[in-house]
Amino acid sequence: MAFLEVHNLTKTFGGLKANDDISFTMEKGELIGLIGPNGAGKTTLFNCISGLHPVTSGRIIFDGKDITSLKSYEVARLGLARTFQVYVASGDLTVEENVMVGCFMRTRSPSQARARAYEILKDLNLHDLSDSMVSELTVAAQKRVTMATALGSDPKLLLLDEVAAGLNPNEIEEIMGTIRHVHEGLGATVMLIEHVMELVMKVSHRVIVLDSGGKIAEGDPENIANNPQVIKAYLGERYVREHGGEI
Amino acid sequence: MEEIKNALDFSDFPRLDLIVVGLIAVFLLVFPVFPHSSFAMATMIQFLMFSIYGMGWNTIGGYGGQVDLGKAQYVGIGAFTTAVMLIRWDIPFWFSMPIGVCFAVTWSFIIGYPLFRLKGHYFAIATIATSLVLKDLFEVWDLVGAARGLEISPIKYIPPDFLRLIFREDIYYYYVILGFFFVGILYVNWFRKSRLGFQLRSIKDNEDMARSLGINVHLAKVKTYAIATAFVSVVGSFHACYIKNIEPADTMSLDISILIALMAMLGGAGSLWGPVIGAGILIPLKSYLKDWLGAQAGLVGIDLIIYAGIIMLVSAVEPKGIWGIVEKVRRRKRS
Repeated sequence: MAFLEVHNLTKTFGGLKANDDISFTMEKGELIGLIGPNGAGKTTLFNCISGLHPVTSGRIIFDGKDITSLKSYEVARLGLARTFQVYVASGDLTVEENVMVGCFMRTRSPSQARARAYEILKDLNLHDLSDSMVSELTVAAQKRVTMATALGSDPKLLLLDEVAAGLNPNEIEEIMGTIRHVHEGLGATVMLIEHVMELVMKVSHRVIVLDSGGKIAEGDPENIANNPQVIKAYLGERYVREHGGEI
Repeated sequence: MEEIKNALDFSDFPRLDLIVVGLIAVFLLVFPVFPHSSFAMATMIQFLMFSIYGMGWNTIGGYGGQVDLGKAQYVGIGAFTTAVMLIRWDIPFWFSMPIGVCFAVTWSFIIGYPLFRLKGHYFAIATIATSLVLKDLFEVWDLVGAARGLEISPIKYIPPDFLRLIFREDIYYYYVILGFFFVGILYVNWFRKSRLGFQLRSIKDNEDMARSLGINVHLAKVKTYAIATAFVSVVGSFHACYIKNIEPADTMSLDISILIALMAMLGGAGSLWGPVIGAGILIPLKSYLKDWLGAQAGLVGIDLIIYAGIIMLVSAVEPKGIWGIVEKVRRRKRS
């Protein structure tokens, strides 16, 4: 039995099929990239897996447990953490406090939560920012803080939603290091939604491509990069016709 | 053990704050020794009572960001439980007060469970509605004296009666409520650093994020609402023994609910000292306005206009109140 199994997952909003019959499996220790044009249903898929949206039909099995109908906080407690694409903070919490909220999932004691948060922040090279307000940080730092917060709950599976969006090349390099560290150093299984191809293609073991709600391709990064269907999804039918499916 | 240590630990405040707090604490302790008018004494007791109401409100309304405008219903439950029990069965304050807390907390679960499905303004409006409905029910309920309310007649007891909290001099009431005040501060100081406190602040920040961190948002809100309720109910019980003449139209009025929220909002919602600062400004203002305006019949009700003005001012200028301004200035100085 695989670590994460998604069977025929469908999610509709009114008449719109945001996820259409998606199935895939994921093994422990894998790092999977989830790509697709805007509106392909990537974030919806994350929301369904993490229990934020109830699914319309299909089944999700995580670590041997059926989590299809669990609420998001129950899913989180089983060890499935996620970050959010758009980070909206009213600015009441410092970086350290934010990470502590994550740590409080596993402990009741404030001093233990603080100690764990310190470890994580140090590990991700964020400890200089401990006392800053999250809302005052750069986008790049905020994205790393959301990762640190998710790590606070000691997840077995980490879903990262566009952690590199809006970053400059240096920052992308930095966040790539962080992702690698989380995956290899801390041993988390990671799935990431990303538009920054150089990042996805470099770090992923396997890439899943969504388009208009359905899964159109799955495979290792090189195959995906040369898959005509994927190119069509991104660049349109005419481009593929004119270039014969080759870039 | 860690809980007690955390409750007594104020080390995250700058030294200046601690000195000011220490001076205020000493002043509160020795205030009755100095010559004072009975008006000043009554104002001080009101200040302490509303500080505690505000502290309670602050847990759910400040740290949790759930604006609750129906706290008067819990003042009523506490006050009438104590009054009914004392008058009918001669059950003293120290027994009826915890029973009142049980009633109030039970009621808070009953209305909190469905009400926390609502958010923002809808939640605030719903709390106003439940509070007013309960007031109307009390006004026709004979057990609690209906609209005439209840009167605790001091003649029946021999003051000072510490068990029943019946005193002739206000100084006794002052020290009882001061004790509750210090306990309240210590509790909130613990609360803001506890797991529940952090969870609430996270909920205020972003509910979906809080959920994804394993927080049962609905349960955390209902739990904290019950804590806030317990604070209010305790002071409600005290109110019954102190005022001795309680009627639903006063004790459970919308004014009380709004004042409670206003204390915390003006002083600084979501900060430890906010409700105390707010009560320190508003209660003297209220007392003097009442005294001054009482003589000029045409101006009765102008205090409500002033409160409304303060609410608008706070939300427009600095939503985190006076303490928010203090913190802003400090941040600017540091950077």
